Amino acid sequence: MIAVEHVTKRYGAHTAVADVSFSIAAGEVVGFLGPNGAGKSTLLKMMSTWLLPSEGRIAIGGHDTLRAPLAVRRSLGYLTEHNALWDGMRVDRFLRFMGRARGLTGEHLERRTEWVVQACTLGEVLRKRLQECSKGFRQRIGVAAALIHDPRVILLDEPTHGLDPLQVVAFREFIRSLSPGRAILFSSHVVSEVLSISDRVLVIQQGRLIADTPVPEIKAGARASGQEVEQVVLDIVRRAGTPAGSAAPAAAGAAS
Amino acid sequence: MSTTEATSAAAPAARAAAGEAVTVSNRLSPREFLSGVRVVAGRELGAYFGSGIAVVYTVAFVVLSNSIFMNEFFLSGRIDMRPYFELMPLLLAVFLPAVTMRTWAEERKGRTIELLLTLPIVPLQATLGKFLAALGLYLFFLLGSVPIVIMLAALGQPDFGQIAAGYLGLIGLGMLLLSAGTFLSALSGDQIIAFVTSALLAFALVLAGNDRVVAVLDGLFPALGLGTFLLETVSIAPHYGAFVAGAVPLSAVAYFGLGSAAFLWINALVLERNRA
Repeated sequence: MIAVEHVTKRYGAHTAVADVSFSIAAGEVVGFLGPNGAGKSTLLKMMSTWLLPSEGRIAIGGHDTLRAPLAVRRSLGYLTEHNALWDGMRVDRFLRFMGRARGLTGEHLERRTEWVVQACTLGEVLRKRLQECSKGFRQRIGVAAALIHDPRVILLDEPTHGLDPLQVVAFREFIRSLSPGRAILFSSHVVSEVLSISDRVLVIQQGRLIADTPVPEIKAGARASGQEVEQVVLDIVRRAGTPAGSAAPAAAGAAS
Repeated sequence: MSTTEATSAAAPAARAAAGEAVTVSNRLSPREFLSGVRVVAGRELGAYFGSGIAVVYTVAFVVLSNSIFMNEFFLSGRIDMRPYFELMPLLLAVFLPAVTMRTWAEERKGRTIELLLTLPIVPLQATLGKFLAALGLYLFFLLGSVPIVIMLAALGQPDFGQIAAGYLGLIGLGMLLLSAGTFLSALSGDQIIAFVTSALLAFALVLAGNDRVVAVLDGLFPALGLGTFLLETVSIAPHYGAFVAGAVPLSAVAYFGLGSAAFLWINALVLERNRA
């Protein structure tokens, strides 16, 4: 459902993303790990059609982001990096606007709005302006806006940023409940969070994909070696610079 | 977050989960195009009226424009609305950049531009939506001049044809300045810069038709006849002046219409180019 093939993004002489390839099938939840400035957000921006790749190809739901950007945008729900929202808008009006902009009307719009309000527990802030909402609520509102049209592909850039620990746990369950029929890619700095939600982990550093490893494999490796799972992932990160093709076996090796 | 399962019967993801093929079109039908424009325009208008911008700007505009006209009216005592239309270009050169400066600069600064332009709309839809909302606010400004028309009708026999043509000229002038301001806001990440550049352009377009400015420019470059050239080609004055005189020439309609369309088109191209 998501296919990223040899994607590179350059800003002048600086390469933000270098020759990254991976794919995500329907029903998969994939975590995107990496330090600040590693290229996670740049890659997500390219997948959302906000940025164009300098090289390579990205397909979302079978649609090329360059040739069919509109079909891509219709297929995906996207939580942006800073979750910037129109602060002066009321929450209910913002959600309806996002629904209408995605072509929802009438009863369908009402039903979907009700669903995201319930799913993201936004009932108590519906009549508030976005600028009056706490960071945690704003994050949930951003997620609700990304899900309002029931997208098949969901891209979430640091979705748990600003959530309290209880909300993080609820969010994990929520994301898992969404996975049937959908491809979900989310970025995070928090290793334990990614491991607890994801089926697979992508590790990116300095613009390069250095690991693409199934979570059960990491967990099994950790059990076998007596290491913490976080340590196994950190070992992968320490091998930064290893080409992606050989990093995954190396990660598996470290795990086993 | 609730873990309640999605309940939307016709939901694409639910259909995909059930193994049903879901096709997503990359095309935009005329109806979808207009719907997208309307949705963006509605949000923008809501932002103008919800933030108080509309009320503050309208009150300031109406008080200033109507006061200047009433002063002129009491001095001349003529049942004539032309003085109102004649003062408008300079006034609009300040007020309309103040309306458009926020259109894209605020989206950039607040980073909401990414949210807007990753929705399934094309940049031209977003541009038109913002432009139409600004035009709607401008028409709201102009409603403040209706009492003048009523007053003139109560006091005598004004030329309603001329008044109607004057309003058409105001709409044309407004469209041109709003589209130019929206475009310059798209080029800038800062509202102040957007305001200053838009106001400078508006003043240049207005003053290029001023007799003294034309004479000075012609005097500076006698061989080029720069002042006359600018007056005949880019200046608002001859086109707007025709409306104020009570005529609706096709050339003036084309000047304002095509000029506005060109700015809006370039605006959309600028947004598209920003993705690179």
